[in-house]
Amino acid sequence: MSSENKDFGKNKAFLIDMTKCTGCRGCQVACKQWNQLDAEKTKFFTGEGYQNPPLMSEYTFTRIKFRDYEKNGQNEFAFYKEMCMHCNEPACASVCPVGAFVKTKEGPVTYDAKRCIGCRFCMVACPFGVPKYEWSKAFPLVRKCTGCYSRVKEGKKPACATTCVSAITYGPREEMIKEAEKRIAARPEKYLKKLYGAEEAGGTSVIYLTALPFDELGFKHVTKRPLPSYTWQALRLVPGIFLTVGSSLSLLSWFTHRKERIAKEEEMRKSGSAPKEG
Amino acid sequence: MTNHWIDLKNADAILAIGCNPAENHPISMKWIEAAMDQGGKLIAVDPRYTRTASKADYYAQIRPGTDIAYLGGMINYAIQNNLIHEEYVREYTNASFIVNEKFDFEEGMFCAFDDQEKTYDAKAWAYAVDGAGNPKRDKSLKDPRCVYQQLKKHYSRYDVDKVCAITGTKKEDYLAVAKAFCSTGRPDKAGTILYAMGITQSTHGTQNVRAVAMLQLLLGNIGIAGGGVNALRGESNVQGSSDYGLLFHLLPGYLKSPEFDNVDLKAYLEKWTPKTKDPKAANWWGNTPKYTVSLLKAWYGENATPENGFCYDYLPKRSGNYSFMKLMEGMGAGKLEGLVCMGQNPAVGGPDSLKTRDALGKLKWLVTVDLWETETSIFWKRPGVNPKDIQTEVFMLPAASSVEKEGSISNSGRWAQWRYKAVEPCGNAKSDLWIINAFAKKMKDLYAKGGAFPEPITKLSWNYGHGEEPEVHMVAKEINGYFTKDMTIVDKDKTLEFKAGDQVPMFKYLQDDGSTVSGCWIYCGSYTKDGNLMARRDKTDAPNGLGMFPKWSWCWPVNRRIIYNRASVTPDGTPFNPKRAVIAWDGLEKKWKGDVPDGPWPPMNDAKEGKNPFIMVPEGFGRLYALDMKDGPFPEHYEPIESPATNLLSKVQNNPAVKVPKDIVPDAAKFPFIGTTYRMTEHWQAGAMTRSLPWLTELVPDMFVEISETLGRAKGIKNGDMVKVTSQRGSIECVALVTSRLKPFNVQGKQIEQVGLPWHFGYAGAATGDSGNVLTPSVGCANTSIPEFKAFLCNIEKGGKRA
Amino acid sequence: MTAAKITQVVVDEVKGYHNFVKFLIFLVGAAALASAIRFIFGLGVTTNLNDTFPWGLWISFDVVTAVPLAAGAFTLGAIVHCFHIKKLEPLVRPAIVTGFLGYSLVCVGLLLDLGQPQRGWHTMVYWNPHSPMFEVSMCIMAYTTVLFLEFLSPVCEKFGYHVPLRLLRTIEMPLVVLAASISTLHQSSLGTFFLIAVDKLHPLWYNPLLPLLFWVSAMCAGMSIITVEATMSHKYMGQPDEGELLETLAKILPCVLSFYLALRLFSLFALSEGALWDRPGLTALFVLEIVALVVPVLMLAQKKVRENGRQRATAAWLVIFGVVVNRFNVSMFGMEAPGTSYYPSFLESVVTIGIIAAHILFFVLIAKYFPIFEHHPETVDYSLPDHFHKTDNNHGHVGNEA
Ligand SMILES: Nc1nc2c(c(=O)[nH]1)N[C@H]1C(S)=C(S)[C@@H](COP(=O)(O)OP(=O)(O)OC[C@H]3O[C@@H](n4cnc5c(=O)[nH]c(N)nc54)[C@H](O)[C@@H]3O)O[C@H]1N2
Ligand SMILES: Nc1nc2c(c(=O)[nH]1)N[C@H]1C(S)=C(S)[C@@H](COP(=O)(O)OP(=O)(O)OC[C@H]3O[C@@H](n4cnc5c(=O)[nH]c(N)nc54)[C@H](O)[C@@H]3O)O[C@H]1N2
Ligand code: SF4
Ligand code: SF4
Ligand code: SF4
Ligand code: SF4
Ligand code: SF4
Ligand SMILES: [Mo]
Repeated sequence: MSSENKDFGKNKAFLIDMTKCTGCRGCQVACKQWNQLDAEKTKFFTGEGYQNPPLMSEYTFTRIKFRDYEKNGQNEFAFYKEMCMHCNEPACASVCPVGAFVKTKEGPVTYDAKRCIGCRFCMVACPFGVPKYEWSKAFPLVRKCTGCYSRVKEGKKPACATTCVSAITYGPREEMIKEAEKRIAARPEKYLKKLYGAEEAGGTSVIYLTALPFDELGFKHVTKRPLPSYTWQALRLVPGIFLTVGSSLSLLSWFTHRKERIAKEEEMRKSGSAPKEG
Repeated sequence: MTNHWIDLKNADAILAIGCNPAENHPISMKWIEAAMDQGGKLIAVDPRYTRTASKADYYAQIRPGTDIAYLGGMINYAIQNNLIHEEYVREYTNASFIVNEKFDFEEGMFCAFDDQEKTYDAKAWAYAVDGAGNPKRDKSLKDPRCVYQQLKKHYSRYDVDKVCAITGTKKEDYLAVAKAFCSTGRPDKAGTILYAMGITQSTHGTQNVRAVAMLQLLLGNIGIAGGGVNALRGESNVQGSSDYGLLFHLLPGYLKSPEFDNVDLKAYLEKWTPKTKDPKAANWWGNTPKYTVSLLKAWYGENATPENGFCYDYLPKRSGNYSFMKLMEGMGAGKLEGLVCMGQNPAVGGPDSLKTRDALGKLKWLVTVDLWETETSIFWKRPGVNPKDIQTEVFMLPAASSVEKEGSISNSGRWAQWRYKAVEPCGNAKSDLWIINAFAKKMKDLYAKGGAFPEPITKLSWNYGHGEEPEVHMVAKEINGYFTKDMTIVDKDKTLEFKAGDQVPMFKYLQDDGSTVSGCWIYCGSYTKDGNLMARRDKTDAPNGLGMFPKWSWCWPVNRRIIYNRASVTPDGTPFNPKRAVIAWDGLEKKWKGDVPDGPWPPMNDAKEGKNPFIMVPEGFGRLYALDMKDGPFPEHYEPIESPATNLLSKVQNNPAVKVPKDIVPDAAKFPFIGTTYRMTEHWQAGAMTRSLPWLTELVPDMFVEISETLGRAKGIKNGDMVKVTSQRGSIECVALVTSRLKPFNVQGKQIEQVGLPWHFGYAGAATGDSGNVLTPSVGCANTSIPEFKAFLCNIEKGGKRA
Repeated sequence: MTAAKITQVVVDEVKGYHNFVKFLIFLVGAAALASAIRFIFGLGVTTNLNDTFPWGLWISFDVVTAVPLAAGAFTLGAIVHCFHIKKLEPLVRPAIVTGFLGYSLVCVGLLLDLGQPQRGWHTMVYWNPHSPMFEVSMCIMAYTTVLFLEFLSPVCEKFGYHVPLRLLRTIEMPLVVLAASISTLHQSSLGTFFLIAVDKLHPLWYNPLLPLLFWVSAMCAGMSIITVEATMSHKYMGQPDEGELLETLAKILPCVLSFYLALRLFSLFALSEGALWDRPGLTALFVLEIVALVVPVLMLAQKKVRENGRQRATAAWLVIFGVVVNRFNVSMFGMEAPGTSYYPSFLESVVTIGIIAAHILFFVLIAKYFPIFEHHPETVDYSLPDHFHKTDNNHGHVGNEA
């Protein structure tokens, strides 16, 4: 899972320009439609602005988070789309004991429900809190944004990107990054000079552009190193440790038992009789 | 829209006033953002900090109902700071026209007001005419009686301080907006104004729109790419509905509906065909007889002959106001026997809805034609009434939805786009065309057996095929129009031969002698021998690259994408802005290049054939000064009927031309807050279409009210509390959303709070809630009768039954 | 015997049990009921788990904590057999039983916790060597098998199955080595689990040495468990006093513990990133964990403590407590984002309590019916015998009065 020799530039990626997002939530509905997800029973607003549902869930693969606040006497009404980041080197895929998650060559990180044993390690591992669980089911599975892999495979754009007014651009990752940099260069007074997702978790297939500081908007601070490398640095030692421990213990016991064995053999040879009863 | 959606991308400044495109016209943001990517500035002027405001470069808060003050101030700002497009104003508007000596404006009132009838005599505002009967002009614009000087004087009263004291806008915000937008008064800049219900739903709504148009004329922004006066229309096909004569005072194609004294066709045409003596004036409405006769031919076919005035006598004549509110008033008074609600839900959508719901109970019968069970169709079992007490017989006819039927739909940009049927209607649902067709045939059968004055029905030509479903293409072809006999028409150097039954290629060939049929003249050209042009889907842009896509669908009139485009060029025909040339005169080829021009004539300066650019008014000039408004030639600020403020500009508190019903008695002591209603992305209108869709109710599940943090503190209301909002007409309960996006207005030194309500809720459907319209007053615009939904008085208290 | 008769026998037998054992049976029964609820209504209803806290008590205790507590077997096995400190051998069997029970119950806990327990075998088919979970589950399966085989010895002894016993003898050494290697892997890999939680686990616990720390502390926990177990079964179940042996263990324990603590502090101050003391609650838990491990070092450094059964056991208890707190800190408290909190639901707790009860119950029962304590191997011949020596007739009947 090391990041060398891997080129994610050709992977399809989302460029989400929050300065263009109107919080219309067409993406949220399009996602539910395409994935045929049930609506959630919500109340009033579970968050700032008109935010609903409260969180992403087994029924909600993507959600617009609203921020409604004042800053220096100026209103800020900001919206951002939460979804699976389709990491270049996904933590979820690396920890899944049965390899249910796969980073496809097209870009989306897919989930094979038929493999999943429901251990929820992916949920613990994902730095963005994406995979969700079917808590209400006796034999639950994990649910998350599919990256609309079935569409992408056919050369279509994901449902959310298709429905979006203009905040979502979808295309090869390197082009998306170039486009983002172009926009920043064209309007430096408007954009923050940072792309969230360019380096987070070792780079993701969802890249955000914004005018407001990311932490103010509630974006998680995430390490720049690909997450699988954190576990891999320990796991890669496994065969070595196994062999080392095994062989040294074997040797050790061979030695420690040797004396006894010799003594016993001696005795056996001498007496030629069976051991005493004890 | 004078322009169209895609054209928004050509703007340098976009002023969204009284509309909330990000929420109510989401796709428009695609083009607005495209403009912004090119450095265009988005300006939002709204009482609330909306999702549009969040995207805007400039935001200014405005108190509901004070747009004339706001826009009047901008007019003043543009004039005072010399930001107007001088040549445009001089050449293309009526700025240079001299107003007659008697015209006068004093202390909030224009001359010739009849206090009894509450009406003006608009004739008193006429231009001064010369000996030949042509209006007098002073192109230097110096004459104190010229429109320009009158205008300047009128709006000099609208200085920034006064305006801000009225509108409650922060002065620095106001100036920033004025500066940003008025900077488009240059030939190389384009500014567009987007407006919708925040402008129109007012007792002076039409004057609000006029103020928008006047500002645009002064800045030279009409007719150009990225400019225009752009109404973001509402219901998906409301543009088409208006085009086809939905409103009580109009026939299809914006022909006037006959009034009681238009006794015969001649009198009607005499009254409604404008005349001019100016040879440079195209005076397009001069063609009224051709369009009227072609329409009558469409309705009465063979039966319509020159001898019988083309069956004009069969048309009902109007003797008053039949607007929605008047109808409801009559219904409440027991004057209506039955009502057909076809795609309308008045129990939620109309003002003062408690009254409307009661009034429905006075009907003998009610027919609703809808996709859903609506509040209107179940009004007899609404909460708080006993169905036994209601005698109205209700019929619910299930209608097929837009995707279950074929037909055209006209968007705000006047593009008529043909749609195909995607799926079969569910259940027993039928298309509206099927239902109307069945109605018409049944009525014809019944009247054939006799009845009072059966001819208007029995003589109708009604033939849309013999199948189960009427032939929608036959309807479209009839709307376009066809020849009833073989004809030879000489058009300039061309001679055209037509056979009886041929489609009319464009409305200039329509005739007033019965040889042509056209159901709606402005759509003439949409369905020709080349087929159904509305179904075109060619994605190639015009050579000017302005996003006009002339072969995508068809747009009225004659596929002209930007109307009044003759004003986008100098009087010589050179584009004001060559970089964004809508049309340009090619002197060598002697023809226009680019968009379809507003008439084929050469540029205005052509001595022989040149025409003035604004061809729809008789004189041909954009009207800074109007001659046919009910409430004055210039928009003047008046307070909404229910307002907590007094008019700072004159002693006249409300629009004098509005007849206020007696039961509206504004009481700012009891109802101290400004109530306003609006929409949100997640719901549609009265809610029938969205409140039963779980994916949408998940987003906005409950009726709520937005209030400011200061009001929340004053009333002890926290976010999520149940509250009760009350007006003179009733009270509703809902959840409070306390937000810094709503702020009180600083009006005349007083803090005035606003109470914002979406109006999408009602008692039918899956997600229910109280209706905002329980609170709104039934009083409307002097010119159009659109109700004043945007400004009324109310109170708010913590608590409520549902809490 | 008919089914009715068997039931009768069982009921009679159970009736004779001590009330404490009956209570244990009740707890296990309650847990079984709670588990039934989980399989009918799902995890959402049964537990307080949700998308923010996907892992709770069951993972924290039933897996992450239970595994090191069951570490006595491999630790002792290695000490006895590999380092050939033979006098500790009598402790091996109880340790193996504890280990086997522990791991079996870990498996039970896991089956409850997994969304698709019926697919548990998928780990063996769909390999993902990058997953610590894959590694741990393979290990746990392998190790449980090893423990099972080891556990078979007393069983075979009890029933006098000579041939299998001989076979088991043959593979005893390889099994011990295998057990130790596998344990090293998965005890440490439990730590590796949390290496992925870079921005989630608080820096008081997150550091790259987590796997090593888990392994070393597991050994401490294992030794302590043996100490406590032996002391208790001597006291309450009339099992032979192994005090002398435990003294030896008590000499090894503080050395390992000190090594652990040194490593812990080194990793904390040299390898952790981010603010350490920003959350008072976590700081307190951290202090608790460290104190619970430092005190036994100080205690066991003294000869008199080592020789005193009670004090020795107290020190061991402290170590166990310290390791338990550590595992909870890593897998639960340290993972809670600021401002969020998780506490187990009633049913969730019932299950965990039931699992602990089951552990004790089965241990008691096994001790009652199988020869695990009297096995003094210095009297047994480890070479390949021609015939198997008969086991003591008494076996299986000691502790009747328990
Ligand atoms: N999602 C969605 N889209 C819709 C509809 C819908 O129901 N849902 N309805 C459609 C229909 S029929 C229509 S007509 C259009 C209407 O579209 P809009 O006119 O955009 O709709 P509104 O929200 O009623 O009003 C627009 C804004 O006017 C502001 N406003 C209120 N009073 C005033 C005022 O006095 N002056 C100014 N300047 N602003 C004021 C309100 O705060 C509001 O933000 O939307 C259409 N689009
Ligand atoms: N307080 C307040 N009130 C307002 C407004 C406001 O801003 N504030 N805005 C006003 C405005 S701009 C408008 S346009 C009105 C709208 O008021 P209404 O027109 O009464 O409201 P809608 O909910 O759009 O009703 C349209 C109905 O048509 C049905 N329908 C949809 N498609 C079809 C079809 O193909 N055939 C048939 N037969 N039926 C169909 C829908 O289910 C729906 O019930 O409300 C007005 N009311
Ligand atoms: S965001 Fe989370 S779930 Fe999505 S690919 Fe990355 S690690 Fe996996
Ligand atoms: S819950 Fe399923 S997908 Fe997630 S890590 Fe476990 S097995 Fe893999
Ligand atoms: S990519 Fe597909 S699954 Fe993911 S958020 Fe978009 S629509 Fe939903
Ligand atoms: S569809 Fe696009 S603009 Fe609308 S909320 Fe989603 S990301 Fe934002
Ligand atoms: S007309 Fe349809 S596509 Fe266009 S903005 Fe409205 S809802 Fe969206
Ligand atoms: Mo509308």
